[in-house]
Amino acid sequence: MLAKQNNDLDDGLFYSIEYTSPKFYWVMFALFVVIGFAAYSYLMQIIIGLGVTGLAQPVSWGFYIINFVFFIGISHAGTLISAILRLSKAEWRRPITRMAEVITAIVLAIGGLHPIIDLGQPGRMWNLVTSGRLQSPLLWDVTSISAYFAASTVYLYLPLIPDIAILRDRGTKPQWLYEFLSWGWHGTPKQHHILERAINILMVMVIPIAVSVHTVISYIFAMTIQPGWHSTIFGPYFVVGAIFSGIAALLIMMIVLRKVYHLENYLKEIHFNYLSILLLIMSLLWFYFTFSEYLTTYYGNEPDEMRVFLYKFTGGFAPYFWAMFACNFLVPVTILANKKTRRIKGILIASISVVIGMWLERLIIVVPSLANPRLEYPTGIYIPSLTEWSVFIGAIAVFILGFVLFAKFFPLISVWEIKEGREKSISEVAHRLQSYLPDNHDELEIEQALK
Amino acid sequence: MAKWGMVIDLNKCTGCAECVAACKTENNIAIVGKEQSEMGRTMLWMDILTLYEGKYPDVKVRYLPRPCLHCDNPPCIKVCPVRATYKNEEGIIAQVFPQCIGCRYCMAACPYTVKCFNWTAPDWPDEMAAALNPDVSARPAGIVEKCTFCIHRLQKAKEQAAVEKRDIRPGEYLPACAESCPTRAISFGDLDDPKSEVSGLIRSPRMFRLLEEIGTEPKVYYLSESE
Amino acid sequence: MQSKLVRTLQFVSIALIWIFVISLDVWIVSLLFVAKKLNDSINASVGIGIIAIPLFLTIAAILTYVFLGLRKYSGETESSDSAGGRGTK
Repeated sequence: MLAKQNNDLDDGLFYSIEYTSPKFYWVMFALFVVIGFAAYSYLMQIIIGLGVTGLAQPVSWGFYIINFVFFIGISHAGTLISAILRLSKAEWRRPITRMAEVITAIVLAIGGLHPIIDLGQPGRMWNLVTSGRLQSPLLWDVTSISAYFAASTVYLYLPLIPDIAILRDRGTKPQWLYEFLSWGWHGTPKQHHILERAINILMVMVIPIAVSVHTVISYIFAMTIQPGWHSTIFGPYFVVGAIFSGIAALLIMMIVLRKVYHLENYLKEIHFNYLSILLLIMSLLWFYFTFSEYLTTYYGNEPDEMRVFLYKFTGGFAPYFWAMFACNFLVPVTILANKKTRRIKGILIASISVVIGMWLERLIIVVPSLANPRLEYPTGIYIPSLTEWSVFIGAIAVFILGFVLFAKFFPLISVWEIKEGREKSISEVAHRLQSYLPDNHDELEIEQALK
Repeated sequence: MAKWGMVIDLNKCTGCAECVAACKTENNIAIVGKEQSEMGRTMLWMDILTLYEGKYPDVKVRYLPRPCLHCDNPPCIKVCPVRATYKNEEGIIAQVFPQCIGCRYCMAACPYTVKCFNWTAPDWPDEMAAALNPDVSARPAGIVEKCTFCIHRLQKAKEQAAVEKRDIRPGEYLPACAESCPTRAISFGDLDDPKSEVSGLIRSPRMFRLLEEIGTEPKVYYLSESE
Repeated sequence: MQSKLVRTLQFVSIALIWIFVISLDVWIVSLLFVAKKLNDSINASVGIGIIAIPLFLTIAAILTYVFLGLRKYSGETESSDSAGGRGTK
């Protein structure tokens, strides 16, 4: 009886799945135009060669590698945050986890494709299979990203099963798909037990995998001996930056989807508030890492390192560097540290600023070290071409497309977890709270009162 | 087994760039045109670095021919994901053109920035296309290339020696740059043979190597200019 | 009839997951031999292999455990009304 009532309560969450508005087709059309243009640009790049980009010697890595690092960084939003929140029993996670996990799965697929876009001879990819060398950091990436992709899609899918079963039972089309994906879920206690056990194992597994992914990406740079790259803190520095940009992207998506799918009742001010405090902490942590990274370089004062350092601080890349500093530190800290501005609008501004800032950080890591080789070569300025821009915008369009399609087939908010929250967690949390407190005789009374 | 190495005497080098030209024709290195060249896509296996010393008006200009340095401890081959570059048993860092996937990791990892990339497919004027060196394969777009110490010449010399049932004689195998240098600034030979010319030259107090401090152990030695 | 087809599809998908994971692991093992042949640093290869091979197997095992488990225990309430029933007994 109670279950039935609650079902109706969350009916709105299925609305966008069961009814298709003309807007949906317009959005799809627009996205396909953008993606089509990007695909055309990439096709031309395959035919003509990487000459269509703005890359040259010595800046032989550019937008594609920057976006690779950037997108994979965003992917840390999801699974990692969701796993940490689940593990720490943060009850406010319930409406957030699903979206976070979707971001991870989509962005990881996009980011993982970028090194392939960057290849001069993508047709020779097969060489990696037949004679790949595990001692190359690129292969570390291949293994670690595919592991993360596997683990995070499974981690997205498993908590989705009960929701798919609801859709199946509602008779939503395509019926066979929901029947196929729900594996006969009927919410029996045994099934609950199995599913929860699997989710628990996965969430413990997924955290080290997620950390490894961005650590290994930083190793691509740190394993060389190039000035500005060869740094021991690059691993944790990248991971912190990844989580930082991930939370910001998650906040942006939450604000946008809340507006588009009318989720105001589920994503409340308090969720944004809590997450943005996490963002504020990450901003401070990011500052700490940046400070340590550059202070050691500056104090050490090695000529080759200093050339890269000065290029960033006062030279050609100074505008980007200081913009990054403002975007990643000044703007978010000013907005988020103040209770009055820590509202949805302020959080949106801070998050957008952080995402831009973190993209700039990737730019600042990749290009200046390449632009300042140790020997004295004449170096030009790297200016990305139209091809690179259109592939970048195409990648963002694929991201939106992924989200729109996901929302077309599955609920963006974990319905059963919300229900579980309503039905079970309130008493559970009361018990948990009680167990935190020193034991006294009143405990018995409260327990009885709760019964 | 020989260990091939090069010595470049900067006292003798006039910066005439004959080595650069000889290298380009010997190895069928693509000519990219003015516009591409200005973007920084010039392809040179042998480059001449111009170093300026002092302040105006007391400027001293130095020239430093720079082939691939064929490090004994090369940072580039460690990172290659497909073994498109490797160190052969005679110490030459070779490129396997058909194996390269064009990820450009080796370019990023090389501390001397010696590698160049085929940003587009090479386009030869008709009269040059007929005159390409048949010993060196033409490279398609999208792969990395660099100086190989004219390894094809070593191959030829070895075959010749095998036919005549003898070892390679000193001076029989010379890269195009060493052969073409009008002032004989570039010497080439076996570093493991204590009696070879290069072994004698590197005992000179003028000897130095590029970026010695990073421990790559290059096999290209320089003899600094005497004041 | 449709449910029979779905059931077949589900078991095919389990098989595919295992084929995928096992071929990934075979690939990693084959790279170990490549590393040996090319005289590469074997430590890096072994290190990655030790972590990656069981990892993919674990993921596949978890999926199989969930899929088979859910199928096995779904019969209990199958006959009764089950509109998203939470089964909170």
